[in-house]
This record gives sequence, structure tokens and C-alpha cells, in this order.
Amino acid sequence: MTPALSAWNLGKRFHRVWGLRHCTLTIPEGAIVGLVGPNAAGKSALLALAAGLLAPTEGSLAVLGRDPLAEPAVLAEVGFLPQGAPLYRSFTVSQATEFARRTNPRWDAEIVAGMLERLSPHTKVGTLSTGDRTQLALALVLGKWPRLLLLDEPFAGLDPFACREFLQLLMEGVALISPTVVIASHVMADIERVCDGVVLLAEGRVRLEGQVESLLESHRVLLGPRRPIGAIRGVREIVRERHSGRQLTLLVEVDGPVLDPSWVVERVSLEELLLAYISPDRLRTPKPSEGIPLQWHG
Amino acid sequence: MAWVTWQQHRAQLFVGVSLLAALAVAAIGTHIPIAAAYSHEALPYCLPPSERAGCDLLVARFQEEFGSWATVVRGLAVLPALAGLFVGAPLLAREFEHGTYRVAWTQGVTRRGWLLSKSALLALATIVVAGLTSLLVMWWREPFDALEGRMAPSAFDVEGLVVPAYAVFALAVGVLAGLVLRRTVAAMTATLVVFVAVRVLVLVFLRPRFMTARHQTVLPSATGARSTEWVLSDTLVDAGGKQVSAPRENLAILHAHQASVDPQTYVDSLGWKRIVSYQPAGRFWTFQLLEAGLFFSLALAITAVAVWLVRRTPA
Repeated sequence: MTPALSAWNLGKRFHRVWGLRHCTLTIPEGAIVGLVGPNAAGKSALLALAAGLLAPTEGSLAVLGRDPLAEPAVLAEVGFLPQGAPLYRSFTVSQATEFARRTNPRWDAEIVAGMLERLSPHTKVGTLSTGDRTQLALALVLGKWPRLLLLDEPFAGLDPFACREFLQLLMEGVALISPTVVIASHVMADIERVCDGVVLLAEGRVRLEGQVESLLESHRVLLGPRRPIGAIRGVREIVRERHSGRQLTLLVEVDGPVLDPSWVVERVSLEELLLAYISPDRLRTPKPSEGIPLQWHG
Repeated sequence: MAWVTWQQHRAQLFVGVSLLAALAVAAIGTHIPIAAAYSHEALPYCLPPSERAGCDLLVARFQEEFGSWATVVRGLAVLPALAGLFVGAPLLAREFEHGTYRVAWTQGVTRRGWLLSKSALLALATIVVAGLTSLLVMWWREPFDALEGRMAPSAFDVEGLVVPAYAVFALAVGVLAGLVLRRTVAAMTATLVVFVAVRVLVLVFLRPRFMTARHQTVLPSATGARSTEWVLSDTLVDAGGKQVSAPRENLAILHAHQASVDPQTYVDSLGWKRIVSYQPAGRFWTFQLLEAGLFFSLALAITAVAVWLVRRTPA
């Protein structure tokens, strides 16, 4: 089966700065993946590349098995919701809907109408609240019945209520259409709620990639008294160490149970895990996604 | 895409048609006194421009009375630029400024198709509006054309096929400028500069050479000759065929005055001649076809570049 999205050594340079570099990843069809990372991590660049709005500076990428620039027809099967939902502001809701209907070969009026019940068709897009505009944009990308749904910071500017409503609509639509979904966001709590996979980007590189469940399963927090660290049985890699006073807190990747009774072992939250992987001292290491820094093993 | 184009540009079309309507009202209003004076002063009697007695005077009076109006109409030569400034330049620049290209270009319609259909439809509307404007001006200028001809730029540039051609050219330049510069104001400025530059270059360097100019040698005192042609140059030469410089001509006139001789007669008597180089009035439609063809081709080429670029260099 062709993956929904695959990138190989993908890089995009903006003037002299690399927005994305050495990005290699595969998102299988049907997955719901959170693309997370701090600002300027390259999330938007990756999505814009996938939507054919940017051309790669190096490397290559395939969307539903095709190059979105060489074969723009693939975009009919891709629902791209750009950050800020930039719909034509002078259009009314019904005009915006008509626009999407007429510019796409496949169109499901029913699903769109269902999602837009709450909005008056004669309201101008420019006067809608951010939440309503984002919902409208979501309805319009779902109307395409996309095989791949790309959402760029859909929660930006939404209040918690609108955010919840958006997620509700998104999950209903996804349940109906069952596309592959990639959500770029820095709101990690929401990602945890809806995504089954996660890709962590920072400074233009993939730092961590995997299933949420297995990532949570393979990482632990170890608490213990401060001491020099040697090798710990069951620990594959120390992701982050922190000390406060005489207390030492380690976030580790484990390859077996940690039985040393001097450590208190706790489960880790996704947010904490992701933050650990993009902590400043972590980013300085040359190739974090591959290498296990030797000096940490004692 | 026709629906999309109509939804997004009907306001511009409405403004264009309103401008045309206002122009039509002004044209009809001013044409009435002109037509009245034209027939009242029996100007048709002086046609074709001839040496009939009194015609000089009649034509001069008519031109004195209405010449300034014709000058205003000459100013309509700027109208085609508006298509580039207000329709072409914002077409893509506004998409970039508002970020809406990110939605518009990720639909099933490819952005090449998007730009092609929009450009084609807008070009069509531009041709219709500019064509009607041209027809209106031709109707209004009829009396002037009869007396002064329409080969000279003051009439040539606002009549016939070149008006829609200029407008479509301006539109194409605007679209490409918007794509390259991505800012509406910058694109508008660039469009204006390029439009004026190309128009002036063609007018000064190309149009006089579309066909070999004709020459005629007349007495220095001859008047009224070639009034309906486009006179490119009018050179005074001495009996030996050498060009007479302005100081030398002034000196001759001074001599004539000192000798109490009519300067015209004096200059004639020296054997001096005027060599008039001109494009004859009969070549009007040929020149219109050539110049309109040139600008339509430029517009096509520029649009082709824009369509190629919009696909090659993504946002």
C-alpha cells in the first residue's frame, strides 16, 4: 500500500535559513498523526510542501504516491487547511461553499451542509469569528472527501470552547471519511486526544516519530537522590536529566523494566516526553534521532 | 472557474461598464455642438482637405473652438492602463497579500488551470469594454478624423483595434507583475512603468518603421499639404540638398525682413525645398492591424510566461 505521505531527506531553504532539513518520514494510509514542535520547527513548511505550495530545495516527497508539484491533480484528493483559514473574505458562506464545490471534481454537499448548519449562508466570511471561519474551512476541505487531510495549526486563535467544537466536527468527519490525517500543532494536549501517531519536529529536523502508545510505553521518568549516573539496567537512553536540590529526575527510554530500587519509576505524559526531546541541550547533539550519546552511558 | 471569476471580478466589471456609460454620456453631450458646428460651417464642403478658398479659415475656426476637446479625448490613451493597474496587478498580488492562494491553489483545479481560465475570461471582458470605448471614440472623432486624419498618434492611439490590444497587454503585464512582486502597490507601479515604456518605445521607434515612409518635396511656403497624414519629419533643404539649420533659416528670414521682401517668397526664391516624410492616411488599418497584432502577441507571450511561472515557482 502506498503511504499517504512519504518524505526522503526533504529540505526547504528560505533565503539562507533552512525551514526544514533532512526530513525523512512515512505516514501510512489511515493514520492520524500529530505533527508537533515549537514555532519555526518546519511544521508549516512540511505541510506546504505536501500541498504543493512549496518546492523542495532538496530531497523528495510523495503525496498519495505522487509528486504534488509534477502532478497537481493529486490535490483534488488532499484537503489542506492552511493556518488562519484564509478564505476569501468578501465571499459569503454560501459563496465560499460554492467556490469549493466548483473547484473540486468530488464534492459531498451533504456533509458540508451538515457541518454548516449553525452558520447563516449569507454571512460574509470576513465577519465570521475565527472559530466559525475555521469550521467553515474544515467543512470545505471535508467536502472534497479527501484521502489525506492536512491541518496546519487549526487550533490557533480558537478559544477552548471553539477548539472542542472543532475537534468534535473533525472527529465526526474523520469517522465518516476515514482519511489519513496530519495535524500540525503546538497544542500537545489536543494532539494526544485525537492522534494515534506523532512526529516531533524541531529546528527543521525530525526528532521523534512513532505511535503515541508505544512511545509512552517505552519512556519512563526516574526519580532518585542526586548522584553520578552510570549505566542503569533497563535504560536504553537518557533523554533528559534534571536536578533540583538533592533530587535527580531522569526521563529515559527503556528497553526493559527498571528494577533498581533506588529509583522511583513513573509513567510519562506525552507533553513532557515531547518537551524533553526538544529541550535545548538535546537539540545541540548532532543527530539525536539516530545517535545515542555515549558519554551518557558512563 | 467562470463562476469563480464572475463572483470575484463582477465589481470590477461593473466599474468598467459604469466608466464606459459615463464616457458615453459625455461623448453624446459634447458631440451635439460639434456636429452642429461641423454641418453649420459647411466643413464637409472642404473635404477632402483642399485648397478651396476660405477652407483654411473655416477649419482653423473649427479647430480653435473644439481642438481642446479633442486634446481631452487624446488623454483617453491612459484608459487601457487601468485594466492592468486595477484588474491585472491585484489578481495574484492580492492572493499573496491575503494568503488566500493557499486555499485557492490547493483545490482540484490546478493553479495553472486557475490562472489560465481567469486570464482568458478577464481578457475577454477587457477586450469587450475597451473595444466599445474605441468605437465610442471613433464615432465622436468622426469630424476631426475627416479634417485632420487619424494616422497621427493623437487619433491613432485612441481608435480602432489598438485600444483593446493595449488594454489586454496592460492586463497581462499586471498579472505577471503581481506574480513576481506579490505586492499590489508594487505590482501596480511596475505595470504602469512597463506599460508606458513599451507604448513609448513602440510609438517612437517601431510604428514609424512599420512600412517605409513616403517622401514629398514641396515649396517651403506650401501649406495645408499632408494634413491628414502622419508627418514624421519636415526638413528644409537648400538647393544643393543640404539640410538648412535653424540659425541659417532665421538668418534668411532676417535678410528678407531687412530687404522688405515676404520671407516665404524669399525662401522659395532661394531654391530651398521642404522634404516631408510621412505615413499616408490610407495605411491606417494596416498600421492598426500591425500594432494591435504586436500588443496582442506581447500579451499572449507575457501570459504564457505567467502561467509557466505560476506552476514552476510555487508560493
